[in-house]
Amino acid sequence: MSSITRRGSRIWKGAAALVAGALLLTACSSTPPSAGGDDAAAGGEDVKIFMAPKFTGLAYFEVAREGGEQAGEDLGFTFDYIGSDKPDATEQIATLTNAIPQAPSALVVSAIDGDAVAPALKQARQQGIKVVTYDADAAVDARDLFVNQLSYELAAQTMLDAALLNSPEGGQVAFISASPSAPNHTAHVQIMKELIDTDPKYSSFSYIDTVQFAGDDAQKSQDIALNLIQANPDLKVIISSSAVSAPAAQQAIINAGLQGKVFATGFALPSSVKDFIESGASAAFALWDPAELGYVASVAAYQLATGEIKGEEGETIDAGDAGTYTIGKDGEILYDKPLMFTAENIGDYDF
Amino acid sequence: MTKTDAPPMTPGVTSRRGFASSGAAALRVRFLGVVVFLVLLILVFSLLAPRFFTLDNGRSVLFTAAILAIAAAGQTLVVLTGNLDLSVGSIMGVSAYVVFDIAGGAPALQPLVVVLAIAIGAVLGFINGFLVAVLEIPSIVATLGTLSIYRGFVSVYANAQEVTVGELPRFMRDLATAIWLGVPAYVWLALVVVILVALALRFLPWGRKIYAYGSNPKAARFFGLNNAAIVLGAYVGAGIIAALAGLLLGAQVGNINSLLASGIELQVLAAVVIGGVSIWGGSGSVYGAAIGAIVLATINNGLVLLQVQEFYRLLIQGAAIIAAVAVDAVVQRRVLGATSRRRVMEVTA
Amino acid sequence: MKQFIRSYAWEGTLVVLIVLAAIWSSTLSPYFLNSVNLLNSAAFFVIFALMAFGLFPIVVQGEIDISLASTLAVGAVLLANLSVAGIPLVAGLLITLLVCALLGAINGILVAVAGLPSLAVTLGTLGAYRGIAYILAGDAGITGLTPEYTQLGSTWVGAVPATVVLALVVAAGFGVLMGFTRFGRASYAIGNSAKASRMGGIAVIRNRVIAYALAGAMSGLAGLVWVSQYQSARGDNADGSILFVITAVVLGGVSIKGGSGRALGVLLSLVLLGTLQTGMKLANVPGTSQTLVVGLLLVASIGLPRAYQLIRARIAAHRPAHARTAALEDATPA
Repeated sequence: MSSITRRGSRIWKGAAALVAGALLLTACSSTPPSAGGDDAAAGGEDVKIFMAPKFTGLAYFEVAREGGEQAGEDLGFTFDYIGSDKPDATEQIATLTNAIPQAPSALVVSAIDGDAVAPALKQARQQGIKVVTYDADAAVDARDLFVNQLSYELAAQTMLDAALLNSPEGGQVAFISASPSAPNHTAHVQIMKELIDTDPKYSSFSYIDTVQFAGDDAQKSQDIALNLIQANPDLKVIISSSAVSAPAAQQAIINAGLQGKVFATGFALPSSVKDFIESGASAAFALWDPAELGYVASVAAYQLATGEIKGEEGETIDAGDAGTYTIGKDGEILYDKPLMFTAENIGDYDF
Repeated sequence: MTKTDAPPMTPGVTSRRGFASSGAAALRVRFLGVVVFLVLLILVFSLLAPRFFTLDNGRSVLFTAAILAIAAAGQTLVVLTGNLDLSVGSIMGVSAYVVFDIAGGAPALQPLVVVLAIAIGAVLGFINGFLVAVLEIPSIVATLGTLSIYRGFVSVYANAQEVTVGELPRFMRDLATAIWLGVPAYVWLALVVVILVALALRFLPWGRKIYAYGSNPKAARFFGLNNAAIVLGAYVGAGIIAALAGLLLGAQVGNINSLLASGIELQVLAAVVIGGVSIWGGSGSVYGAAIGAIVLATINNGLVLLQVQEFYRLLIQGAAIIAAVAVDAVVQRRVLGATSRRRVMEVTA
Repeated sequence: MKQFIRSYAWEGTLVVLIVLAAIWSSTLSPYFLNSVNLLNSAAFFVIFALMAFGLFPIVVQGEIDISLASTLAVGAVLLANLSVAGIPLVAGLLITLLVCALLGAINGILVAVAGLPSLAVTLGTLGAYRGIAYILAGDAGITGLTPEYTQLGSTWVGAVPATVVLALVVAAGFGVLMGFTRFGRASYAIGNSAKASRMGGIAVIRNRVIAYALAGAMSGLAGLVWVSQYQSARGDNADGSILFVITAVVLGGVSIKGGSGRALGVLLSLVLLGTLQTGMKLANVPGTSQTLVVGLLLVASIGLPRAYQLIRARIAAHRPAHARTAALEDATPA
């Protein structure tokens, strides 16, 4: 009995291998079959733009969404906000892959993993969909334009300026980043270190070389902040480009009763740091206007879709009240309007 | 009940007193194991990082361990019944967001935040318990489902908004910063929760039934225990404790979004496992789980002090978990071996 | 025939659910019923499918492995490194599959030889392997892979993406492996009772280690699909996807307690989950609702049949009593 079934299993295995081989040999091609259907609308009335944040559910992206919706109203295009509520690259890839058949005129994307989403974005471009990244860039050849909120240099300077406002006499600085795979965070930290080393304005600072990663998690940011304070008795400022980590670290400092002795700063929504600034626990946090960033990115996407611009270096994008921007090298548009939230102006912001 | 339902009555089980005492011995040995592990860890870090062994740092480690310890105490209840609660992070998130959102909108309800949290935890825990105990869905599957459902609920409820630090009730924020007798209030609260759970397990009939059920569900049924009620009770208890942990976490982080505490279930499980609570149910102590939480917090703290990169933290934590279960297995085998030898001697004597 | 229907009841239910999901999806979005689009969407689920089939024999044996997504990351990062280093694909793939199988085997040895609980062991290696992936990946992601390594992701067999073909071949392979080989029979026996299997002369330890090593190798293969589809690798690849993989296996009718389940069910549940997700994504349903639907589906699909059984059992238990009281009432004069 057992010998028969064993022979049977061998036959099955052989058959499976044959089928597999046959399948692989027949008609292999390396060009994707086109999805057919309607081409991306290019021009005038029925322009449709999808905005895909890293993930939905984060207040920061929600503010940027408002900017995109506003652009839709002002210019008369259909605006849709798409994405998963999980901070997960595969989820974003699925979102983008499924956006393509819906033939939007353009995608406005904040890439959670700039390299992994690149093939999906390239596929979109092959179908005639324009791709604009905002907030976090994708691979250069996977998008038409990148609306960069702040150049890495300006971002680094802004955060160090905020640190100086908190601790005018300088002191030791530690960095909390989101993850080792967030290129903008990595670049910010790198440039901040260089500025401290070279720029006399920031020479009163010194820094702790090891960067800690908190993955945009509030609790983890707090644990790390506390541990950093314990590890470095001379620590003066904790800087983070994560809008989750920076306020969480400040709260941890308050919890530990160290406000005024240690400071956290970096990028944060004004609503999440209003209390710290009003109570005097912190002097300054920084950011930009995410709504205007979303607005500019959506306008750029619209103008690409309608053919007003081609996305080449030197062209200008007129975003009305939001300003005029020139496309730079590698299709990068610098928004470059940092905001510094201090006791004087924190009341003026409603996001 | 028919005769066929009876568990195999081995000679060893008939002397139930002897069995229980050997179990207690195993527990004690295992508990000592975690403590020794923690002491070794402290020793190593103290030698490597001069700033590690200070009062201030100790306080900081305990503070970062407090919420994890509370959540681990709740998880222990469920794990002792031989089940799991993977939805613990989602319950914490729902509790923190919903309670503070309500309290922020209606200041009159602020004194009731604890009551609200308990109510939410009880309901969510009951749903878990119902799925596992009554519908008999395997606990991994059921709580994997509710992990998504509860998190989905809080995302829909939050609608991408945040509860900001200014909206939190003053007394909850003060609690997060309070120091009582030189130790953060959260540490005292964690201690109280852990001791209460331990006392409940030891002295309440329900608590003792949890151990009895977890070590042998079939036998528990034979002795007339209401299994569904035991498991349901464990889940409700775990839900309430998770909700309270969520409340404290919310007050601690200040700005609460719908993602708060997502993914924490793995840390909680790690604390429980390192603390020597058997994943198969029936053995382990809530004190062990709490110390497991302290072990994790100590590793995190020590590695930051040593300026070790994040990557190695993952490796070292993983190794600690495996080492803990390996020690478990060795201890259990030793104890079982010893008791069976003793039994043989008793028989021959 | 009746026997056949009963034994394939779960697969039948899944087929019905898939049809319903497809109808729902096509009403949600006019783009759903586009075959090219459907096939391209299917390619997205290949990574999860490979991990799910790898996990399948482990669950049949009554164990679990939650470290597979971390193993995938090690595989993807390793492949990317080997590609950049100029190692030919065949050698690179062989090395990766071996390393990943070894990582799986470590799990298996800890579980089977040392007798440790699988959930705890793989909870440990989930972190440890993720750490290894980060260390191998360095500070940033790895890009600039040679075309050889990314070929699979941009190859079509007719209109079908080659990765989907790969997943179907793997599905068939696991169907054969679990249905018609000694390893398959041993797995079901071990899942039903490890002790009885051991007494019955089945090499429990060997079969367990094989199952874990195989799952590791499948994750390595999933790593190849990852780099071929996404042309890059990072330490955090597929982080968190294990919950989806477990959902797929369990929804496929594989009992988490071990001893039952078929590859066909796993394949169907992947199709069901894929149909739902694709439909909802095409209709731009907000992400939170998608999370809710998958969670509800998992609980309801397992819970409702149980509830039905329970209620039926209750009624059956009560019926004689009712009959008796009814008879008594009849006997007593009004």
